[in-house]
Amino acid sequence: MKLAIIEKMEAQLRPVETLMVDYPAKYITQANGDKLVIRQVNREDVPHILQAVQPLMTVAKDFYDIVASRINSELLGWYRYRVKDEYCLLGTIDGVIVGVVNGRMITEKAGMSYHTMTLRQGLRIGAQLFAAKMEYHLDYLGQDEVWIVAESPNGFKRWMIEYELESRPEQWHELGGVPTYVLTKALWEKHKAKKCGGRRPVSDEMLIIAKQMILPETYSQIPGYVRNA
Amino acid sequence: MSESMVAYQCTSCGELHHPKHFVCRKCGGRQFEEIPLEGACTLVTWTRVYNLPEGYMKPFLCFGIVSFPNGLNVSGQLEVDEPEIGAKLQATVGVIKEGVGQDYVGFIFKEI
Amino acid sequence: MRREVGIVGVGHPRFGKSSVSFPDMCCYAAMEALDDAGIKTGEGHGVDQVFLATMGAQMLNRQSGIASGLVDTLNLRPAMAESVENGPASGASAVKLGYMAIASGMCDVVLVVGGEMMRVVSGWEGTDFVATMLHPDAEYPYGLTLPAFAGMFTRLVMNQYGVLESDLARVAVKNHENAMHNPAAHIQLVPKLEVITEDEDKDIINPYVAEPLRLYDMCPVSDGAAAIVLCAMEVADRFAKKPIRIAGIGQATDTHAIAEREVPTDLLAVRIAAQKAYKMANLTPQDIDVAELHDAFAILEIVESEEVGFFPRGEGHLAARRGDTKIGGKIPINTSGGLKAKGHPLGATGVSQIIEIVRQLRGEADGRQVEGAKAGLTVNFGGFGNNVVAVILTKEVE
Repeated sequence: MKLAIIEKMEAQLRPVETLMVDYPAKYITQANGDKLVIRQVNREDVPHILQAVQPLMTVAKDFYDIVASRINSELLGWYRYRVKDEYCLLGTIDGVIVGVVNGRMITEKAGMSYHTMTLRQGLRIGAQLFAAKMEYHLDYLGQDEVWIVAESPNGFKRWMIEYELESRPEQWHELGGVPTYVLTKALWEKHKAKKCGGRRPVSDEMLIIAKQMILPETYSQIPGYVRNA
Repeated sequence: MSESMVAYQCTSCGELHHPKHFVCRKCGGRQFEEIPLEGACTLVTWTRVYNLPEGYMKPFLCFGIVSFPNGLNVSGQLEVDEPEIGAKLQATVGVIKEGVGQDYVGFIFKEI
Repeated sequence: MRREVGIVGVGHPRFGKSSVSFPDMCCYAAMEALDDAGIKTGEGHGVDQVFLATMGAQMLNRQSGIASGLVDTLNLRPAMAESVENGPASGASAVKLGYMAIASGMCDVVLVVGGEMMRVVSGWEGTDFVATMLHPDAEYPYGLTLPAFAGMFTRLVMNQYGVLESDLARVAVKNHENAMHNPAAHIQLVPKLEVITEDEDKDIINPYVAEPLRLYDMCPVSDGAAAIVLCAMEVADRFAKKPIRIAGIGQATDTHAIAEREVPTDLLAVRIAAQKAYKMANLTPQDIDVAELHDAFAILEIVESEEVGFFPRGEGHLAARRGDTKIGGKIPINTSGGLKAKGHPLGATGVSQIIEIVRQLRGEADGRQVEGAKAGLTVNFGGFGNNVVAVILTKEVE
């Protein structure tokens, strides 16, 4: 039983949420025939998803530690109602979680890209998930631009260079410290054909499997790790 | 600033070379004269490369190998929208890479 | 009077991502080869010379004199030791030098280790490192890369001989299928031909890297090391397994600047190197039962299969369409998975190719065995074909 004053405090600490249209799930056939399903997840899914993210928080190689740790805190912030208008898209193959992307709306017209993390390496899943979240901001949420920073050279190449992002160093990005780059509507229209794929709708059977959100047993990034060993 | 590209002609037998060699491929001679390498050329083959090495901050670059009327083939950057084998091009000289303190110049093939 | 040389030990840990240092990675491969040969490490090891093949250890891993270091770490002192650099053909070149050391009478037993650790640097730096092989004035400053030249070469071959994108993909898929039977292969995943060539999303999952070459037409970036023990045939009884004879070695160079090649669609150095190897081995292309052809780019397997005399010029892709180069076909090529799926740690590749042929001739290639293989050919392609080493191995007749 909560005291009325605590409940009133909680209401004040929560951001006012904007109504965001849902991201319609899609699937992309991978080179080996696997179907990558990209699906928006709900707040309630966060504690489960964090179990997939957390093992990578101590892997220094390829910046997994900082990306996993920041995703962990961003998703937790969303779960505990302390971040405004955040979303999370999950990539699964045969129901197993293979990648995570997230971001939020800053204003009606501008989005803030947070992170892109690939759990299953070797299929360029990160690039496909990144494109999916750009698709969400620009084609579904109706925004005009998305602010982006990169934490790794690979990220810089895949986004800043390949999308020819506009440099806007005077604009501060929440992830801080480095110059912000922006994906404008014009740049998105120029590049999306080569970057953003996928078929819709995802069949009911595929969705049921995708919703299982199975936690990976092993991670190629963590030799010797086995879940619940 | 205008730099030119040159071919190296063997003073003994007249064989043209590019790039520079120390020994003539035809007669074994060792003296060469620089002659301008420029002007009209034909596209032999081309590619558009999306994975560039360190220092090239572009999403892609086009490259080609061209053939000059004097028989020399050279490679260079290509600034042509829709390249086609056999296209008639113009060999120009420009900055191919920005360096520290000094830019690199080389062949940039363009439409006539 | 030239002595006969055989291979009596092989070591090939899995290619892919190394979690240990470059010298350690080389040591693990070396130990496997020494064990396979039945050489007892420590006093009385009998190794006279170590050759270490690597293109980039100095540049990428910032180490020099590594061959000398290796000798000490493995306690093979006072064996002679040198590093060998011939770009991506460093491995076969090191084997050639090992052969020469024994054939000349100077050594009885030589250990050859090839290794490369490319994943310590970013993709950018890796691309730049590989590009250092190109002509320093006419090519490198332009931002030209090996894939760029492979792309231009592919376009010419497609234009002249009618090779299609699907032909390249078919070769890649074959090699991935073969690699599933090779536990040492980097990539254990098989792309589906129809997906990478026809799916609506093929530009997303199999994008162009250097048109017309796509992602799945080129080998991955790999760490890895592989090692072999060579010996004079007259002392082969000392070792655990029957020797596989090095019957022929051929090598040839071509112009450095690729635009200067006489015939732009030819791989002349491959042709000459193979001819020299056949001559030394007193064999013809028809005598070869299995081959490892350097397929850093799928187009190279196709053209090399023609230049080494397996198929007429311009018909290599037709042979691949018929299945002639699959296991069970007329002339199986890249049963190991090739560079495409096995991986391509530059300095290790030449040694790795030779190891696959040794396994085939020994009958040890489980799951990918070419029945009754008696003679095998490897082609290790340095630069973009300006320095090529071909090696022919034969099984000793009982």
